Amino acid sequence: MEKTILIGGAAGLGSAVTSHLIGKILCSLGYYVFDYRDYPSLIKGGNNFNVLRIADQPVYSHKQKYDIILALDQGTINLHKKDLKKGGLIFGNKETGPIVQKLQGPQILANDVLIGMFFKHFGVGLKIILAAVEKEFGSKSDLIKKAVEEGYQLVETKEKLKKGQLVKYFISGNEGISIGSIAAGMDLHLAYPMTPASPVLTFLAKRQLENNILVFQPENEIAVVNMALGASFTGAKVMVGTSGGGFALMTEAISLSGMADLPLVIYLAQRTGPSTGVPTHTAQGDLKFALNAGHGEFAKIVVAPGDAKEAIIRTQEAFYLSCKYRTPAIVLGDKHLGESNYTFDELEKSKLAAVSSPVNRASSYEHNALGHTVEDIASVIKGHERRIKKIALVEKEFLKFNPVSVYGPPAGEAGKGSNLIISYGSTKGAIIDALSSLKGFRFLQISYLKPFPKEAVRREIKKSRKVILIENSATGALADVIAEQTGIIIKNKILKYDGRPFISDDIIKNIKKVDED
Amino acid sequence: MKPEELGTKEINTWCPGCPNFSILQAVKEALSNLANQGKLNIENVAMVTGIGCHAKIYDYLNLKGFYGIHGRTLPIAFGVKLGNPGLTVIGFGGDGDTYAEGMEHFIHNCRYNADLTMLVHNNQVFSLTTGQFTPTTEKGFKDGSSPLGLAEKPINPLVLAIEAGASFVARGFALDVPHLGELITQAVMHKGFSFIDILQPCIVYHKYSLPYFNKNVYKLENHDVTDFASALTRAREWDYSYEKDVKIPVGIFYKKERPVFESQWPQLKGAWSTIQRKINWQNVTKEFK
Ligand SMILES: Cc1ncc(C[n+]2csc(CCOP(=O)(O)OP(=O)(O)O)c2C)c(N)n1
Ligand code: SF4
Repeated sequence: MEKTILIGGAAGLGSAVTSHLIGKILCSLGYYVFDYRDYPSLIKGGNNFNVLRIADQPVYSHKQKYDIILALDQGTINLHKKDLKKGGLIFGNKETGPIVQKLQGPQILANDVLIGMFFKHFGVGLKIILAAVEKEFGSKSDLIKKAVEEGYQLVETKEKLKKGQLVKYFISGNEGISIGSIAAGMDLHLAYPMTPASPVLTFLAKRQLENNILVFQPENEIAVVNMALGASFTGAKVMVGTSGGGFALMTEAISLSGMADLPLVIYLAQRTGPSTGVPTHTAQGDLKFALNAGHGEFAKIVVAPGDAKEAIIRTQEAFYLSCKYRTPAIVLGDKHLGESNYTFDELEKSKLAAVSSPVNRASSYEHNALGHTVEDIASVIKGHERRIKKIALVEKEFLKFNPVSVYGPPAGEAGKGSNLIISYGSTKGAIIDALSSLKGFRFLQISYLKPFPKEAVRREIKKSRKVILIENSATGALADVIAEQTGIIIKNKILKYDGRPFISDDIIKNIKKVDED
Repeated sequence: MKPEELGTKEINTWCPGCPNFSILQAVKEALSNLANQGKLNIENVAMVTGIGCHAKIYDYLNLKGFYGIHGRTLPIAFGVKLGNPGLTVIGFGGDGDTYAEGMEHFIHNCRYNADLTMLVHNNQVFSLTTGQFTPTTEKGFKDGSSPLGLAEKPINPLVLAIEAGASFVARGFALDVPHLGELITQAVMHKGFSFIDILQPCIVYHKYSLPYFNKNVYKLENHDVTDFASALTRAREWDYSYEKDVKIPVGIFYKKERPVFESQWPQLKGAWSTIQRKINWQNVTKEFK
């Protein structure tokens, strides 16, 4: 069983909340749901939409042909009708309008009418839906429940969804980062709002008292990161969050973290650049920027989770390594990872404990063991060697954390084995979903970009016939990184730079093209 | 304890005769006095500095310390306070540091009113980079980066601080060590953001300041420090210019306690580093099910 639903409407009409609620109900029934969110940078108007892909098997990406369109306005129908499957259904204003009028409620009630219609169509019991609505909206849910019931009466059950087994977890990448930071024992989260990182700020802010953490929004990103280092000096564990422009403002202090030996975790959520770019859309254009941010030479960690579940563990690892080696760690995500919802049977955390401690002296200058400023030749050399040694230590330890993962059938004989797809970060979902349709292909996911797992990457490439890089960018920076680290040049690249994430159909089509060459 | 005990063995590289020596002395006297009176535990004092001549004080004071980066004294100091509200935090900045590179932090820290002290060594030039103008340099100033003469009028940091909500605003004169020491004592004891703009004539790049100050500085008297309007009027008496002789008041211009930043966060109780955390994973994840 597999269905793809589009829910859309002008900004402010509620498509994100509604799709989340539908997704959550389906997860409670045991289904796997992937929820993709697409919205322009405006507050009212435009067309926001979510795509929910629902299946009884794990799914990690969305599709672009819809079984049902739930339309909150006519614009949604006009825009997306072309992608409706043959025989697909549209529920929209025609159905919801009269009910909203009858209930004399606000326009937003159309969402609830659609929820009722949707679940009735699939024969899900009304009680289940009303309970979920009450849980979500609490005391103000009476009118909402009425609207759901009215919607429910409106249509017949045409298909029957059988109940799955396990209740599932429905979680976004940003939520994964957030609870990963809690699992790591974070004390402070500081951030200046910037899409697509700000959901972490608001998620943690809302839950700060129950988790005994402090969440604060300072005057700008420069303040954010310097405050973080001030707190880190006292032994507090701090994560800051931002996207490209804000990260650019932080780079001076990244170098300070490296020089002053102060732990610092940065969540960098990439969006479509350069500059302000396409703020609410996705991209992987900042890989080299993340790797090279901060002047001077010092140890740095850059780790890129591939889904919401990995986001938890990788954030913990970032804290662990940053605190142990007292150097900056970047968790590199993007809009697609951060704002998409994934479904899992379980949510695990790692057993790693991040330990920091207060220090008496910290300095941005080259300094001796007492923290005092030095300029003489021997001390300058000593300072550099101390920092370079850290790089070597991190390079040894990170190998414990599965810096690469390989999916698909084993390669077989060296040089004659199967073909290899290489990627990192949020492209994982679409690639995994495409893999079963790609005979003779393996997928190498690189999760640590710094330190770089060069041996493992070289080994996998050597075992493969064709090697193809997939990246949500215009240049395919990971190929350059691989060339620098392994000396191997990757010629085949499948790139996407329209601000939208890959879907598995894109990947299958493009891989077939490359494979025929 | 004696003031000297707060010193270090590091070689001092300030120019001989630089008024920064006097600021260093005033700080040592103020802190050792407070320690002797049992009002302060020296172990609990953390200094934060920017980058510039002023910031070298980091190497000359035997305190916990963070030698920060240019312009960022205040956010770092604020972060130290967030990380361990039990520390007595003192920031040292230059006028370039605080009013040029870090102006946004200055304004916002006046608003935040965290319990910390900011001492600005105001020499009206970027000294460590060899004498370029800053936001408090007087109009007409000529140097390597302004050979045609500076066209803008200087800002008045006292007026800015009072307007932006600082709860303790003072001006000191580096060469009057006893008076400056007293101001620093009061600033450290004040609960809230306390700011002292310290006239620190650079004897290399702003030579005419020293005789001008010696002639014109006077101590504020008969001034109600809780009177906002009067504080502004007194702060405006001198506009950081040198065109003609104008009397320059030093002392406390404004002082009025209000709730400190830290008091608004129930979870901000002590040093985070002392917290033993036990994560209840079931609780953290249940909302996703
Ligand atoms: C981001 C940055 N920009 C520029 C500098 C160069 N710099 C070092 S000290 C300084 C000026 C210091 O002036 P001020 O803060 O007034 O201190 P003073 O030397 O006068 O005590 C500058 C611009 C720097 N270190 N960092
Ligand atoms: S250049 Fe000026 S401020 Fe710097 S040490 Fe010399 S006299 Fe002091």
